[in-house]
Amino acid sequence: MPQASIVRVVNVHKYFRRGSERIDVLNGLSLEVAQADFLALMGPSGSGKTTLLNLIAGLDRPSEGQVIVGTDVISSMSETQLATWRTRNIGFIFQFYHLIPVLTAYENVELPLLLLPLSAAQRRQQVQTALQLVGLSDRMSHRPGQLSGGQQQRVGIARAIVTDPTLIVADEPTGDLDAKSAGEILDLLVELGTTLRKTIVMVTHDPRAAQRAHRVQHLDKGLLVDKPATAYEHA
Amino acid sequence: MKYLVLIFKNIRRNPLRTVLTGMGTMMLVCVVTLIWSVLSFLDRQTSEKSQNLKLIVTERWQLPSQMPLSYTDALSKGAPRGPSDLTVADKDSMTWQFFGGSTEEDPRNRSPDSILFAFALEPSKLSMMMDELDELAGSTAAEFQAVVDKLSANRQGLIVGKSRLELLNQKVGGRLTLFSLNYPGIKLDLEIVGLFPPGRYDLSAAIHRDYLSSAMDQYERETGRRHPMMDRTLNLVWLRVKDRQEMSQIAQQIESSPQFRNPQVKVETASSGIAAFLEAYRTLIWGMRWLLMPAIIIVLAVIIANAISISVRERRTELAVLKVLGFRPNQLLCLVVFEALAIGLSAGLSSALATYLLINFGFGGVTFPIAFFSKFFIPWESVVLGTIVGAGTALAGSVVPAWSARSVKVSEVFAKVA
Repeated sequence: MPQASIVRVVNVHKYFRRGSERIDVLNGLSLEVAQADFLALMGPSGSGKTTLLNLIAGLDRPSEGQVIVGTDVISSMSETQLATWRTRNIGFIFQFYHLIPVLTAYENVELPLLLLPLSAAQRRQQVQTALQLVGLSDRMSHRPGQLSGGQQQRVGIARAIVTDPTLIVADEPTGDLDAKSAGEILDLLVELGTTLRKTIVMVTHDPRAAQRAHRVQHLDKGLLVDKPATAYEHA
Repeated sequence: MKYLVLIFKNIRRNPLRTVLTGMGTMMLVCVVTLIWSVLSFLDRQTSEKSQNLKLIVTERWQLPSQMPLSYTDALSKGAPRGPSDLTVADKDSMTWQFFGGSTEEDPRNRSPDSILFAFALEPSKLSMMMDELDELAGSTAAEFQAVVDKLSANRQGLIVGKSRLELLNQKVGGRLTLFSLNYPGIKLDLEIVGLFPPGRYDLSAAIHRDYLSSAMDQYERETGRRHPMMDRTLNLVWLRVKDRQEMSQIAQQIESSPQFRNPQVKVETASSGIAAFLEAYRTLIWGMRWLLMPAIIIVLAVIIANAISISVRERRTELAVLKVLGFRPNQLLCLVVFEALAIGLSAGLSSALATYLLINFGFGGVTFPIAFFSKFFIPWESVVLGTIVGAGTALAGSVVPAWSARSVKVSEVFAKVA
């Protein structure tokens, strides 16, 4: 069972300005995620789920309210502090993988480790472990262009876990994959949660993906709701 | 060090663009290096030395300077009038007469290649007083001394530079007749006795001053009247002094002497004399220094800025990903700056080095006939300068795109991607 909260989102507002117009995306949203929880966030396009994910991952700051991850109040950190914090605490999985095309799988996974005070041998050890976990030990020297979509996403997951982060956030991790590859990626995420006890927050439109999470939260108009008003469509 | 792989792989991302940017940088660094070499050479020539100075005595009010031959002896000694006055030793003085002529007697057949300007002087002074020739060493010095000795022994001798010899379509040992342009009615029958060492004097020529004097005497004997140039044949006198104090005293002796009243003379240092001569080229040199060089450097920076900007624009998503992974804004800025620096530094260094080797050892100098100078060589410092220009312009050109990379907003980039 999930334990103490590792993520606390407290009465968060987020709005953007377009000229003189104010666009409210999150409206006093509060949320808690426990250690080793696997939370799926669902909602229609524009409901604010990616914005919420960005706030939890320290990619953006709320207009009002607090975001606390572990013991760190990340909503009050500067951009530079957030960057350093992300290196150690966040593993991010993108929908479109976003691997660096000129780097090999090994080098892509090694990237976040370059920011940590590790020796080359320590980095090598961690990269090999991460690629082994995602089942790509034999593809280390391949470039993204030489890998299938599913394999690229596995490299993306290896890159997300290589620093042993507190929290893994995934934005539509199966959105660009066929059903078989999507199933394999979800298996992998579930395994990370159960064997490594990683906390995972995943945004998805796919109910089948959401079913694999421990719990599902629905967003609508910037607030958490109990049930969706309508079926979601892909953005 | 650990980011080097990322930097070099990014540079290799679009090899064609990198190569084109590098080549553009190389071309412009090459031009900057050449211009700087010419300007720095002229600067060196016009900067005052503190020891072993050369004084130039010329006619005060007229260009070109034309003094009577009767001034020669007194000026060559520094015009001493009393026992306390300084006397310049014979080895430290040199007279100059400029003789211009053509190998074609008929003016209608004359072309630039048939025209030769020669210094008429005491042959021994070529190796004792002339810039650079007085510093020759080893076999080059011995070979040139042998040529000088031939001119001393043969009043009708001619020493020329290699390029001038080729323009005349002659060879050493060949004979030619020069019909004078500035000494009307004088023609000189000359024998080419040897060559100047390669370099500064490649387009120059020197003849024995006694032959010019005797030719004017001959003119008087044949026509019964003095040659009109007889009282205007001495163009310059060079005096070598050991320091500034001696320079001041000799200058004072000459300029206060009643012997040189008509025409009056003036005393300058070699550098100030050259500077005065270069006045005619002032606008050209100013333009090279303050318009051409900065313009090239700005163009270079713009080329690099353009290439790096395109690269950054193409990689906005990747830069956002790096930010997500924890790269700090300043690390992204450095990443882009170092990519540009790597291109600028390597292109600058290789261009300057290639220019240095190719011009100095491949082409034997760059021909840029200005003032007394016909050829310029690339100093080794230009390799450092070229590298600095390449790196500096890369740095300047990368500032704006690097700042743009630093400022990438993750949420905006991924909002567009999604």
